[in-house]
Amino acid sequence: MKRIVYLLFLLPTIVFGQNQKQVSGQVVDMDFKEPVIGASVYITMDAVGSERSVVGAIADLDGNFTFRAPADANTLVVSFTGYESQTVDIAGMNSTGLLIEMKVSVEMLDEIVMTGYQETTMRKTTSSMAKVEAVEIKQAGVANIDQMLVGQLAGVYVQPTNGAPGSPAKINIRGTSTLNGSSDPLWVLDGIPLEGDDIPSDFTDKDNIDLLKSYPISGINPDDIESITVLKDASATSIYGARAANGVIVIKTKNGQKGKTRVNITANTFVTQKPDFSKLNLMNSSEKVDFELYMASRSDLRYQQGQGEVARILNESGEYNNFTNNGFSSLDPSVQAAINGLKDTDTNWGDEIYQAAINQQYGLSMSGGNDRNDYYFSAGYFDEKGATIGAEQKRFNLTLKNNYDLTDNFTVGVALFGSQNRTSSYLTGIDAYTNPAYYARTANPYLGLKDANGDYIYDPDLIERSDINLDYNLLEERANTSNELIANSMKSIFSIDYTSEIGIKITSQLGLQLDNDAAEQFSDQESYYTRKYEQKSQYLGDNSEDLYYMPEGGIIQNTNANAFQYNWKTMINYGQVFYNKHEVDVLVGTEFREDNNTMVRSRGFGYNPNTLTTVPITNERAATGSDFNVYKKSYSSNAYASFFGTLSYTYDGKYSLFSSLRYDGSNLFGVNPKYRYLPIWSVAGSWDLAKENFLYSSRLDMLKLRASYGIQGNVDKTTSPYVVGTYGTESVLPGISEEIIRASGAPNGDLRWEKTTSSNIGFDLGIWDGRLFISNDYYYRKSTDLIGLQSVPLESGYNTISTNWATVTNKGFELSITTVNIDHTDFRWSTSFNISANRNNVDRVEIQEESFKPSLQGYSVNAIFAIKTDGLDSNGIPLFVKDGETMSAVDFYNLLEGTDGSQLTREEHRDLYTYVGDATPKFSGGINNTFRYKQFDLQIAANFNIKQTVKRNAPYHMTTVNPGNNYSTEVLSAGTGDLPGLIGFNSAGINTDLVYSWFNSGDGGNTYNDLDVWVEEISYLRINSIRLGYSLSPAAASKLRVSTVRFYLEGRNLLVFGSDYTNYFDPETYGSAYAQPLPKLVSAGLNLSF
Amino acid sequence: MKRIAQIILIFSVMLSACENYLDIEPIGQVIPKSVDEFRSFLTAAYDTEIQHKVVTTYRTDELLLESNRERFDFYKDIYVWNDVNPGLDTRVFPYATFYTIIFYTNHVIGSADDITGDSEEIDQLVGEAHALRALQYFDLVNLYAKPYDAATAASDEGVPVTTEYDAKRDYPRAPVSEVYKLIISDIEQAEGLLNVEQQPEGYNYRFSVLAIKSLKARVYLYQKEWQKAVDAAQEAMAIKSDLMDLNQAQTVMASEYNSVESILALNTVTSFDMIEYASVSPELIAQYDQTTDLRYANYFTLNSDNKYKSNKTSADNFKCTLRTSDLYLIIAEASAHLGGASLTQSREALYALTQNRYTPDGWEDYKLRVGSLDQMGLTDEILSERQREFALEGQRWNDLRRTTQQRIDKTLDGETYVLEQNDERYVIPFPQDAIINNPDLQSN
Repeated sequence: MKRIVYLLFLLPTIVFGQNQKQVSGQVVDMDFKEPVIGASVYITMDAVGSERSVVGAIADLDGNFTFRAPADANTLVVSFTGYESQTVDIAGMNSTGLLIEMKVSVEMLDEIVMTGYQETTMRKTTSSMAKVEAVEIKQAGVANIDQMLVGQLAGVYVQPTNGAPGSPAKINIRGTSTLNGSSDPLWVLDGIPLEGDDIPSDFTDKDNIDLLKSYPISGINPDDIESITVLKDASATSIYGARAANGVIVIKTKNGQKGKTRVNITANTFVTQKPDFSKLNLMNSSEKVDFELYMASRSDLRYQQGQGEVARILNESGEYNNFTNNGFSSLDPSVQAAINGLKDTDTNWGDEIYQAAINQQYGLSMSGGNDRNDYYFSAGYFDEKGATIGAEQKRFNLTLKNNYDLTDNFTVGVALFGSQNRTSSYLTGIDAYTNPAYYARTANPYLGLKDANGDYIYDPDLIERSDINLDYNLLEERANTSNELIANSMKSIFSIDYTSEIGIKITSQLGLQLDNDAAEQFSDQESYYTRKYEQKSQYLGDNSEDLYYMPEGGIIQNTNANAFQYNWKTMINYGQVFYNKHEVDVLVGTEFREDNNTMVRSRGFGYNPNTLTTVPITNERAATGSDFNVYKKSYSSNAYASFFGTLSYTYDGKYSLFSSLRYDGSNLFGVNPKYRYLPIWSVAGSWDLAKENFLYSSRLDMLKLRASYGIQGNVDKTTSPYVVGTYGTESVLPGISEEIIRASGAPNGDLRWEKTTSSNIGFDLGIWDGRLFISNDYYYRKSTDLIGLQSVPLESGYNTISTNWATVTNKGFELSITTVNIDHTDFRWSTSFNISANRNNVDRVEIQEESFKPSLQGYSVNAIFAIKTDGLDSNGIPLFVKDGETMSAVDFYNLLEGTDGSQLTREEHRDLYTYVGDATPKFSGGINNTFRYKQFDLQIAANFNIKQTVKRNAPYHMTTVNPGNNYSTEVLSAGTGDLPGLIGFNSAGINTDLVYSWFNSGDGGNTYNDLDVWVEEISYLRINSIRLGYSLSPAAASKLRVSTVRFYLEGRNLLVFGSDYTNYFDPETYGSAYAQPLPKLVSAGLNLSF
Repeated sequence: MKRIAQIILIFSVMLSACENYLDIEPIGQVIPKSVDEFRSFLTAAYDTEIQHKVVTTYRTDELLLESNRERFDFYKDIYVWNDVNPGLDTRVFPYATFYTIIFYTNHVIGSADDITGDSEEIDQLVGEAHALRALQYFDLVNLYAKPYDAATAASDEGVPVTTEYDAKRDYPRAPVSEVYKLIISDIEQAEGLLNVEQQPEGYNYRFSVLAIKSLKARVYLYQKEWQKAVDAAQEAMAIKSDLMDLNQAQTVMASEYNSVESILALNTVTSFDMIEYASVSPELIAQYDQTTDLRYANYFTLNSDNKYKSNKTSADNFKCTLRTSDLYLIIAEASAHLGGASLTQSREALYALTQNRYTPDGWEDYKLRVGSLDQMGLTDEILSERQREFALEGQRWNDLRRTTQQRIDKTLDGETYVLEQNDERYVIPFPQDAIINNPDLQSN
């Protein structure tokens, strides 16, 4: 494609021979019969038969073209981005007044791929990259583009973290090449790398689920996106420098199309269904009451035995022991009635925390232009109430893009992307109990929420200590607390291009990114959150009475984060074709980047929501802890300077070589200056066999072999060979505040940079005019000298230091197949399928002496280790397996009389574990089918994960089942099958006391949670989206004076096939008790353009 | 071609500008160079709190712990000297924090020649670093090794010694004698460098000439170098010898940082838990003559539940590492051991202190009683006087260790626990995390 662009520059210089004929006509879209503005129409070279001589023209605003060509020209080639190129025979015909209908391209060979620095085509590229058009993956009711990538691209593993509106998807390109750093890819918007927070790695963790955070791509309206290209191998990513070690996702947004103004309106309503709470299999009131009675009947189970309504009734009537000894029938009838009465209330906690919600999404865009100017404008509104009550996201978008040709040589482009994203959620404190998803799992089904007078019923079983109940009620908490994040984001890009006649192109691009995140967490005086917070201010008065220094009233916490970055990139590009065979492309450039981050966090106590005022804390005790700091500011700033260049050469369209080199410099305070500039380089080559005579066939579009190799580096900026300190203020003795400098990290002059070498080989095969396209890649990535924390003797003054301690390899394959199965005028069916596998191996890692878990050496980064069991003994205690032998817990843990088992050395402890599987799926991928029948279209998108090992949290603990909490019905089967039985310190049976004290207190490494009974291997196929659309025929549409009308109906996440994920909502969040379920939604929408 | 030359020129200008572009000094971060920066650096070390004096107090006979009080699990096993498999909640004896402070002092000492600024200030700072390091090793070796015994110190295992940062080397235990050698050498170097005679109130957590001489006296006392201890204490008293007279109404207590007695107010000696959830042992209360010893009312309050509570609270002003009373008692104790003519000196030092502690009548009785004691009786009396004077100030454990290593009996929930005379448990085992990170540390 690019070559054509270059060639067209040469047009004015062409001198014609004497035999010429006039060629003219119009190019139109086959479906819409609209002019294809900008399509190139030219006579192929062999037809002309001379060097450097292409003859042709570009279609004007009405799609018309006209030029003069040699009289013996036989064929006319017509091409345009996004359309299939076609050849028109003009030999011996009248070549004027041609009507050329172009068909939207389904093959990707000639599509322009934007790598951010350069444009290339799939046909020319030597690198491993994958591209997807936004229109193919767009889903209604999805706020962000990351979620839409699930299962779309080979080697790009996308896992939704959680079902809350606005929560990010975790994206992993070609495995994990780090042990503790970020594995997130770099997002690039129209050439500007976006700056922002990494996605937390552990999304089973409650704090990460409850935290509202904004991510760099969450401000981008998917409607504005034209295509997404994922750069995977080193030759594609190395131009992006050190940050691209985890791959790059390049977003190209829509530009205005020259021609008359087009207005496009989309409206969409989607219904988020209420999650099926019964999937969690929790006990209902009747089961729970019976279970509490069972607990009370076992005199050995004393953990929290006073908790739960049954125990309270028994204790109040003084009949607890009577019940334990003589059973239910011995109880006073009134007590019996009271206990049975509990079964009458059956609160469905699912109804209390989940809802069905009706949501909306609207979009408007306008685009158009003339031959010197094009523009694109869009506005978007997205409003999603989550399935969890209180979780909500609202987004407003405005986008404006404008390109001007100032002169024939100069082009100026301006783009503005503005958005406001308001996310709100419930407020939870530091502990787990009040996360609604978790609370709904543990709250008793017989507990009501409001009494007959409408007053809140506080949960008597949610207690801090035996003597403190801070009164939690879900409804009160929801009414009196709030948690909101308002993220304002502005991204703007200004670019100027200069193109000279001799093929030199100079581009300078300045990108600004401004993000302002304002978070507010409010809890009124009457809330559990406030009461809990107040506890932190407890102190004893003179008469040993409890006093609190936190002022009465609410708590308001504001966090204001400002991030700013600019990125200024200048490039000089020279591309030329010499003697019709040698294509050379050289690019050199510089990139300067600076970012500033400021965060101010303030807290106010005694907040009155009516007067909006707070009360100062006067008690000097408040100064001792950080909980009552009212103001905190942090600031950081970074600068980067990079120099880069690429060189590519293609011979005769068959052989291509590509190489790139980049030096990344950054501010490295106190870092060894020899690491100031990191060299990053790559080389790649390809060979298109289809162009060779011996394989030439008109059915073979392309058979290209590709290979690449490259090196990337990264340096740990937090480690210095010097003693670096951080300023602070402390008071050693009362009344005097002094500046201090605290050493930040251990000095380490020996640290080397982390290095990743990547090799990639692959082939692309296209046959039958785009009916079948196969792309296949193998890669091998080796990361050496990975930096990690290593424990050191405490005598050094530190407990850990950063060292180069690990080597990780990733290898894998990716296969994607795109087929057009049926292609008739009325019926078209195409399929795209991709599958990929990644094998990750930690080749070398230093053993952490203090670690309870085995070293990952020889296993995947995401390896799961478990304690092997083999059923239960007669007391319900698991039997364990070591070296193929089944043994009791006493032998397995080497429990000795008089000890609690903690005499196990860490090494012995590590040896207890067995490798059971990898949390990375063996295979993952997706299948998309698109059908079009006359005016109807149907798209079915599915993604799958095959053989993924997951470990869930133990649903209950053998020694600490609390009768005051609800559990999944699994606990009813405790002691049968594989499920460990419930034991107390004096349960009957041999050695129970040893085993009890081990599991209850000695098990410092918490092996109970690692029993293999909690480990599952899951495989699933999720039907992501089913969408049925109907477009009015052009004739019908024109009657309505619009150009297109489309209605559609879409269902998202409706079906999952695969292994059992009982007790959880989704296979994706299997094992996390805190995650919000992935939304199931049905949407209906309308798309109108005129 | 000309254009390309221009471009190359622009690029090379950009490159040279780059070095400045990348030189961002992050706000809040610094590589200490000047004496002011190193002062702030050392202040961070001073500010690193170690509660070893609090935890060891639970091992002494000064406290009464009851199972129905809060946080009982934190201290129970310490209280009954159960070092093998203590409960999970048991407070851990500090270890790493000592070495954190040592890291800071090592860095200051090692950078001495490179610090920029006023040379007097630099000397004072480096002197303080030596002194602070000496104090850390002194506290470490008295926690985790046998008390100093000149006869066996060369073979008794002490604690690992490091005078410069190195995370890669091994850290075997150095003999007790080596540790003391470093302590004395640090003290002597500090003496040569320190030039502030006395630190002003509020800054008296820092070492001064007075503080280093007082520390030296204490170290020699622990080494049983009696004459040297006396000499050092006298040198210190030449600078400051004020005592707080309890016969006068007082607004502060002697162990507060702002008392007239304060020499070095660095260590925290009591904790919230100790004051609120434990009580003063009846054995300690019995040491006081409740009518004549003014410290009884000054130090303790009888609660409604008939338990005694210490008036030395956990508030920030109760910080005490060394105070002038120490000097008097060091002279008294060391002189008593010297015997002969020095016994008079011993008694005089004792009288000088106790005049400020007893009622005038009580003091006369005291003098009568002490005047009749022989050398052995006198040393015993001095130990008792130390117990009374420094009640709950974190000195008792070391005083027991280095002197009689007497038997202690405790009863808890009806069960009796005994720390035998010369029990091995007078040495505290290294904490688990220290052993895990340093396999060379064999447990005591």
